[in-house]
Amino acid sequence: MSASPSEPVRATRGGVRVWFMRSESARGYALLSPTLVVVVLGLIFPIVILTTLSFWKQDYVDIIRTFTLENYSAFFEKKIYYLILYRSIRISAFVTLVTIVLAYPLAYFIAFHVQKNKIMWIILVTIPFWTSYLLRVFAWKVILGYNGVINSGLISLGLISEPLEFLLYNPTAVVITLAHAWAAVAILPIYVSLEKIDRSLIEAARDLGESAFMTFVRVTLPLSLPGVIAASLLVFIPTVGEYVTPTLVGGTRGIMIGNIIQSMFGKALNWPLGAALSIISMLTVTLAVCVLLGGTRWFRKKVG
Amino acid sequence: MDYKKDDLVEMLATGKMSRRKFQSLLGSLGIATVTLPVWTGPARAAAEDHPDVLTWEGWDIPEHHQEYFDKHGEYPNFSIMGDEEEGFAKILAGARYDVSHPCSYKVEIWRDAGILQPIDVSRLDHWGDIVPSLKQIPGMTTADGDVYFVASEWGHTSVLYRPDLVDPKYQEEETWGILWDERYAGRLSMADSLIDGVMVAAIYGGAEDPFNMTDAEVEVTGDLLRKQLPLLRYYWTSPTDIENAMAAGELVATSSWNDSYTALKGEGINVKYMNPKEGAMTWVCGFCLMSAADPEKLEKSYDLIDAFISPESGVVTIMDEGYGHANAKAFDLVSDEDLAERGLSKNPDELLNSGIFQEPIGNEPVLQGLFEEIKAGL
Repeated sequence: MSASPSEPVRATRGGVRVWFMRSESARGYALLSPTLVVVVLGLIFPIVILTTLSFWKQDYVDIIRTFTLENYSAFFEKKIYYLILYRSIRISAFVTLVTIVLAYPLAYFIAFHVQKNKIMWIILVTIPFWTSYLLRVFAWKVILGYNGVINSGLISLGLISEPLEFLLYNPTAVVITLAHAWAAVAILPIYVSLEKIDRSLIEAARDLGESAFMTFVRVTLPLSLPGVIAASLLVFIPTVGEYVTPTLVGGTRGIMIGNIIQSMFGKALNWPLGAALSIISMLTVTLAVCVLLGGTRWFRKKVG
Repeated sequence: MDYKKDDLVEMLATGKMSRRKFQSLLGSLGIATVTLPVWTGPARAAAEDHPDVLTWEGWDIPEHHQEYFDKHGEYPNFSIMGDEEEGFAKILAGARYDVSHPCSYKVEIWRDAGILQPIDVSRLDHWGDIVPSLKQIPGMTTADGDVYFVASEWGHTSVLYRPDLVDPKYQEEETWGILWDERYAGRLSMADSLIDGVMVAAIYGGAEDPFNMTDAEVEVTGDLLRKQLPLLRYYWTSPTDIENAMAAGELVATSSWNDSYTALKGEGINVKYMNPKEGAMTWVCGFCLMSAADPEKLEKSYDLIDAFISPESGVVTIMDEGYGHANAKAFDLVSDEDLAERGLSKNPDELLNSGIFQEPIGNEPVLQGLFEEIKAGL
């Protein structure tokens, strides 16, 4: 019997093939495998590492690998962390609000009033995205700066004699820069949801005697809410963790939680605390998003 | 499932393929994608044969290491650090370098962390020309005689200011206090750094030994930094941050190194560099050999360090950066006039001993934490 070692191998291969052909889920997972590998390696794995790290402790250059809640208690004991996190959430919420308020009319205009060349308008909206993010931030430094476009413009008009110093290096500059940087991300989902609205619903509302404004509030706005929510999430979630923009235009008063986390993994050399802060800010963002979704559900019920 | 390519196309086109067969085909495609090798034959670039260097902004320019290029015909690979803490964190996170460029006060900590290896100075042709006092910085050589640091350039941390925009009394009595003058609120800046920022406050606050402060002195320093925060436009991280702003008059005074003074002076801006009554800080930076250095690149790493301490590199350092250089011969290649313009002289020792020499900071993690809190407005 030992003369035919290839025999069982062939049988197994046949077995695998039959199993693969028959099993619906095996084929499903095989099809999903590229995505699964990316998700596991790129998302789940790092989060597991981060979580583990957050329960360890830094001792100068070494990490002590025994379970401790010290990093989490540090968050609540030292005012700095939750105050900065609160400031980050506030700045991001403000950025989201400003972005949506500015993006909505533009998306509305493209969806309802542009008849020809819509695609060209969409491309025009995305143009700022064609350059590097850093360049866009520096562009705002040029505009808001001490010798910048606004200041030199106002001086040459004779409206001011000394450059305004409050334009740059404060939280407002962070909000302006971020709102511009994320505009396209907000415009596109809102445009899509406005575009999908059945125009006859709007006509019906007008025929039944609603004013233009009330038609907007009771028909157009609720129907475009999915786009608005998508846009809010797309802007809010990434901006909470921002650290480049506050570094460049935030000055001494505009720093955000991203800067603290970055410094924990860099200069301050306290990875476990940095990991704990990352986890806490992730959970806080999740909570904030839940509140936002709950709020819109309430709004829909109320209006609908 | 043995198909020929044409059969497949036909089956797909005519819809003869069953759903199950199609799905299993797609499944195989998924597996094939995952198992596809990421690297399709490594193309070894020539740059890989040269050392990886961690250095400061501006030190990657060819003029600083021309000798290396002349010998090897190619440039080494540079990574830039904003300060040593950032570089240190990168190295601990696994970044591998052959040569690094810290300042002397960091060398002991780096050595204790096990990231440096001793340098065989007999392999450096220019070692003999180095200013003797720069070879005797405490802590750079171990008791066994192992050298861990080759000094390359030195300079000061002091106040750069616009004499035309501030009270003339500061020209008579130069002091760090200008960085706390409320009349210039919003037009001051300070380095975002422990050594060039927090230590400035410590010196201004009159700490006996700024680098080993008592708890009471830390308290005073913290209070000074809190008092200063609302007066600052921003904390600077790179010299370019302050140079444009000083030129525009957006800032009237800031802590800085000699290079910003030399650069602005060269552009004809009315700036002065203080010799504060509390004392300017003196620092020496240079090159270290990393323990993670590639043994195959060791020869080239030595050549590179040698290039950085060559008299030619020294001339660039003095003329363009306004720093002193470690190679005594470099001073002979520069005219007395040029030296005087940069506040240097043919006798570097005199200047080296004039300021408060930067030393390892005791209790660094606590001060870093304090600084972070103060910057956050607490």
